[in-house]
Amino acid sequence: MSRRWYAVALAVALLAAGATLAVVALRGPAPPASMNERVQRVAETVSCPDCIDLSVADSPSITARHLRATIADRLRRGWTPDRIRADLVARFGASILETPPAHGIDLLAWIAPALLVAFGLGLLGFTLLRWSRGGPSPAPPPEPLGEADRRLLERELAVAEGDVE
Amino acid sequence: MRPVFGRHPSTLGTSGGWRRRRWLTAVPIAVALVLLTWMLAFGLTRNPDQIRSVMVGKEAPAFALRSVDGSAPVRLDRLRGQVVVVNFWASWCADCVTESPALSAAWQRYRDQGVTLVGVVYQDGAGNAARFARATGESWPLVLDPGDHTAIAYGVRGVPETFFIARNGTIAEQHSGPISYGVLSAEITHLLGSSA
Repeated sequence: MSRRWYAVALAVALLAAGATLAVVALRGPAPPASMNERVQRVAETVSCPDCIDLSVADSPSITARHLRATIADRLRRGWTPDRIRADLVARFGASILETPPAHGIDLLAWIAPALLVAFGLGLLGFTLLRWSRGGPSPAPPPEPLGEADRRLLERELAVAEGDVE
Repeated sequence: MRPVFGRHPSTLGTSGGWRRRRWLTAVPIAVALVLLTWMLAFGLTRNPDQIRSVMVGKEAPAFALRSVDGSAPVRLDRLRGQVVVVNFWASWCADCVTESPALSAAWQRYRDQGVTLVGVVYQDGAGNAARFARATGESWPLVLDPGDHTAIAYGVRGVPETFFIARNGTIAEQHSGPISYGVLSAEITHLLGSSA
């Protein structure tokens, strides 16, 4: 099999893997079955207010335990997860959420990964294209030397050959 | 003429392309460096303890909390028309010990001028709070907040944290960390003088 066919097969495999991941991401996780799972799902999206880099679901602190109880109580009263999160944001600020808001300086956190993935895919495509063509493209023919460059080249060559001190 | 070192003579004729490639590399690196520096400057020059609570300007969440000493519960709605200072604290909190004299001094000075100070005990027992109050001479109402319901309603991130509630029931100011008498006095005086 030629290098071109290897490149095509690799590109198709990568595209298939990417499409599968996209479908899984769009479908999201399976719906929670029990109240504990529902609380866990919401708690995973809320930061523990008195911890460093821990969600309410993961933190063993008293505050996190009380927040889990508050989330459970509100779910039992029919609040949606979005309403619970909105209420917590209204009291603690946007930093209470594990994911940053999609505006202001925080927008960078959403855009940067997509830009990096696009750049990586572009680089991968470019590399595969060059590889499938059997190596780097030949360098373009050099432009003709200008008068100043020609004199400089002659002088450098003369110095290298020992004609000029 | 200045000699050119480090370049193969065959590249001398394509100096325009070489410069273009150098710019194409340098510009993204420079942009990334400027962005990184700006983000670091933005993050490192902000004190997380002084970030203003989003509760400031909003209606103070209502509460009706049981007193540590067993007396009648303290209800915020019954204090409407007064300036109310709500201080979240705990006996295990070193900064709460530090700020206790400032709170005592403010209570002594303003208690007869339409100001109520309420100490909300945060994640602590009634016995510990009562012993702490006896030891430090605190005589303002101290209330219990089981389940942190009131602390969560106020968006408390840690103790000590103090909220200043205007006569109309809105949160006028909030302070994280140990509070000084100067800050207490300035805020209370401002709220007593304002029409809100």
